[in-house]
Amino acid sequence: MWSAVIEFITFREPNIRFVVLGSIFMGISAALVGSFAYLRKQALVGDTVSHSVLPGICIAFLCIGTKNTPILLLGAFIAGWLSLLAVDWLIHQTKIKPDSANAVALSTFFGLGVFLLTIIQHTGNAAQTGLDKFIFGNAAALLKNDVWLFLGLALCTIVLVSIFFKHFALLSFDRQFAVSIGYPVKALEVLLTSLTVIAIVCGIQAMGVVLVASLLIAPAVAARFWCYNLKKMLVVACSIGALGGYVGAFISYLAPAMPSGPWIVVALFFIALASFIGAPQKGIWARFRLGQNNKRRVQEENILKYIYSAQEDGLIKEYTITPQCLAELRNNKTLEAIEPYKRLCRKNLAIQKGSAYQLTSKGIEYAKRMVKVHRLWELYLAHYLHLPPDHVHEDAESIEHIITPEIEKQLIQLLDNPSTDPHGKDIPY
Amino acid sequence: MLNLRLETFGMKILAAFRLCLLCLFIGYLGIGCKQSSKEKVFTHSSSLRIVATTGIVGDAVKNIVLNKAEVNVLMGPGVDPHLYKASQKDLELLSKADVIFYNGLHLEGKMAEVLEKLKKQKKIVAIAEAIPVNKLIKVGENENLYDPHVWMDVSLWKYAVIECARVLQSIDTSNAAFYKQNLDNYLQALDSLDAYIETEIAKIPSIPRVLITAHDAFSYFSRRYHIEVKSLQGISTVAEFGLRDITNLVDFIVARKIKAVFMESFIPERSIRAVIEGCKAKNHEVKLGGVLFTDALGAEGTPEGTYIGMLKANVKTITDGLR
Amino acid sequence: MLISGLWIIVTSSLLAISTGLLGCLLMLRRSAMLGDAISHSVLPGIVMAYLLTGQKSSIALFVGAIILGVGVSLMIEFIQKRFSVQNDAAIGLSFTFLFAVGVILISIFAQDIDLDQDCVIYGELAYIPLDLWTTPTGLNLGPRAFWILLALAIINISFVGLAYKELQVSIFDPLFAQATGLHPQVWHYVQVVLVSLTVVAAFEVVGAILVIAFLVTPAATAYLISHRLWSFLGLSCLWGITASIGGYLLAWWSGGTIAGAIALIAGIQFLIVLIISKIAKSKA
Repeated sequence: MWSAVIEFITFREPNIRFVVLGSIFMGISAALVGSFAYLRKQALVGDTVSHSVLPGICIAFLCIGTKNTPILLLGAFIAGWLSLLAVDWLIHQTKIKPDSANAVALSTFFGLGVFLLTIIQHTGNAAQTGLDKFIFGNAAALLKNDVWLFLGLALCTIVLVSIFFKHFALLSFDRQFAVSIGYPVKALEVLLTSLTVIAIVCGIQAMGVVLVASLLIAPAVAARFWCYNLKKMLVVACSIGALGGYVGAFISYLAPAMPSGPWIVVALFFIALASFIGAPQKGIWARFRLGQNNKRRVQEENILKYIYSAQEDGLIKEYTITPQCLAELRNNKTLEAIEPYKRLCRKNLAIQKGSAYQLTSKGIEYAKRMVKVHRLWELYLAHYLHLPPDHVHEDAESIEHIITPEIEKQLIQLLDNPSTDPHGKDIPY
Repeated sequence: MLNLRLETFGMKILAAFRLCLLCLFIGYLGIGCKQSSKEKVFTHSSSLRIVATTGIVGDAVKNIVLNKAEVNVLMGPGVDPHLYKASQKDLELLSKADVIFYNGLHLEGKMAEVLEKLKKQKKIVAIAEAIPVNKLIKVGENENLYDPHVWMDVSLWKYAVIECARVLQSIDTSNAAFYKQNLDNYLQALDSLDAYIETEIAKIPSIPRVLITAHDAFSYFSRRYHIEVKSLQGISTVAEFGLRDITNLVDFIVARKIKAVFMESFIPERSIRAVIEGCKAKNHEVKLGGVLFTDALGAEGTPEGTYIGMLKANVKTITDGLR
Repeated sequence: MLISGLWIIVTSSLLAISTGLLGCLLMLRRSAMLGDAISHSVLPGIVMAYLLTGQKSSIALFVGAIILGVGVSLMIEFIQKRFSVQNDAAIGLSFTFLFAVGVILISIFAQDIDLDQDCVIYGELAYIPLDLWTTPTGLNLGPRAFWILLALAIINISFVGLAYKELQVSIFDPLFAQATGLHPQVWHYVQVVLVSLTVVAAFEVVGAILVIAFLVTPAATAYLISHRLWSFLGLSCLWGITASIGGYLLAWWSGGTIAGAIALIAGIQFLIVLIISKIAKSKA
């Protein structure tokens, strides 16, 4: 086991080198074109192209009669290219949506391909054996030449994408706007489509169909969860594509009968899943935490505010109160829970005194601000929306937690440094 | 006003729709007419109409009936059961056939299920299933699944040929003696083929006497003719080999100093190329010995277009490569 | 020959009705690629059914395929809703993952068995007239496929009939549907399950390519020229039927595969309608 790991990391076997480097380079180019495809709502182009190449292969075979790889690949490329151009045209010239356009192109081209296969079947040409799978490769069987080819492809893709970055970005996010500011949209689309088809056809002939479809989609989807900025997203997508290739190759080296391509797909899937769950800000765990934190902050701020107003009303002394007491005062059972008080202590906003809690000077400042903001907002509602004083409390209760110091300043200015709220209570400064 | 315009627009769309329907139907009628004239070409002959699924099964049948019956093969030269797609033509052949021969042992996949059901109406025979079960090689653990590539062992294929002749004799009694005669002749040819393969393979020195291929279709061949077989993956065409399989095979080739590797015609060449490159990087030159025939025969009219010729070609490729 | 040709056209037309209706709904939900996704995703179901039962030609493999067919749809729903990933990406992620898992399982456990969808599950249109359904007494009731597809067509027609109002509202305005108490969620899931069941059952009878083509091309053709839900649904079925007739004739004339020819003709019909509607529009 350990020896296998070390052999893998040190590239001891030449085949490890081919597979790892090949899948990393392919992962990078696929992630780049895949990100744009994903943003243009055509994440499934990989699948479309890999089915659409069949008639191209068949026609090329019918023309030359042997399985000559470069010519079959040329046929495959032309067919894949035509299908994607057709998809682009359908999306922009008709009301057909991207997913339907892809599916129509896929099924028609594939239908034609299967039909041609049966025609070839009746020609009696013995060279046809395995024609339908002939150009589909296997990621474990990458050759030295593939590594160079993929390196070239990755460099070309990176260079072209950096040259046309602004154009491609606009094309993906707002095609209408790109047209209106006079970009050569059609030419750009053909360029992007051609780049995509080249990457896909190179990919499927070396690594197989399903892997390429996944290399296009998964990194882009996962990267979208890590950042908002397109440039960063492309970088992250490339890294994820490369990482997936590396991990998949590694697993397939650990034991026999572990297919490399499918393991890369599985690795990419789990990276994507991990991103959906764990990515900062956009992942569901982060979103869940954000919601939780907000809830807690509201709870804490409420307690501070309640203690402040209790002191203000003379019900307690020195800002000290037990949770039970506060709950009774506010007639709110939920205030009995001591966790929020403990959190206040941890933030140095309060200190524990036996079973009671006392606000520190920092806590009093914080509480004062909350009460101030609350009352300012009440006043604002009463003043500008002409709401009666008994209708403004509820609204202020929720808005007080999100008012920023800037809004606070504006409110004070707008209300001309008021001293009392609609209920006649002092606004603390 | 707007409403009116929309309505006329709708009418136009409707008209367009009618127009294209009309075009389509006219088109279909055209195709249909052309077809009906072609239909008459089909002639009815009084001789037995036999359909065989694979070229190899068809070759066995042809050697028994010679010119006394019409033999049609669904999977022609170069068509293996994975590539095969049934066409309209094949449906006609199947429904008009008096007797259908197929390999069986799940070689034909889904088609075998249909043939199985059709047995109620027609004489349909799975010839490879006539081979005694104890001579078959099991795949999987606990169920009745066997490797279908039985024709790789000539002595087993003889059972299939005999079954084929038996069925034909029982159906076409008028030609029974003729079939018997042909069978005897053909069995003799098969016997000498069997002996030929055995002696030829035995000539390869035993250390590097290993047949390395991409796909494992040679287990019967290996057992009968005492040649070790190593392949990247099993019979399944969906299964894929991994990086470790390649490096293991490379190590094996280097250790045993094997001179050549082979590939099957229906597998992309690249998979075995990776092995060759791996060996090269370890300073062991191994060459691509050539392409072996497995599930499909070669082109009609060439020696590889028959079962005997195909096996002989395989043996020549193997011995040339390894010697 | 005429009889078997008729059977093929009739069964294919029945399929066209089921898939034509479902295809419209899929198109409106932007998941037209679902058919193709299901065709790849059933692989692990087949492998697991084989590994559990040890049988190759049995109902178990079909059940495995059905489970995965429904499973992939639910998985796509889940990824799309829970992680808010756009639809096509959710489809692509799910089917590549499931197919890869299938390949891995085969590579590890079933190397020596031909166990792909094409050879154990997917049927072939050309075999329909041969695969007859006979009662134990020997009465010939016609092709098995005809009855299966007839049942599917009836189920799908009744689903669309029963849920027409709900579909109309929930497709175009799910929030409004919810507000009026129409339970769009329930209808949605019924629809998801129905699509998967229909698709996998149809794969078993006629093979993948025909189902994939029928799920989208006739619907897309109808979408070009219809403005109401009922005409959209009706035309979609109709285009499927004309494609069946045309495709069969093409296959008859050329001797090629019937399913491929029908898929091709459906595409050509789409092209013709597209061109004609473009011309009509430019004149209007």
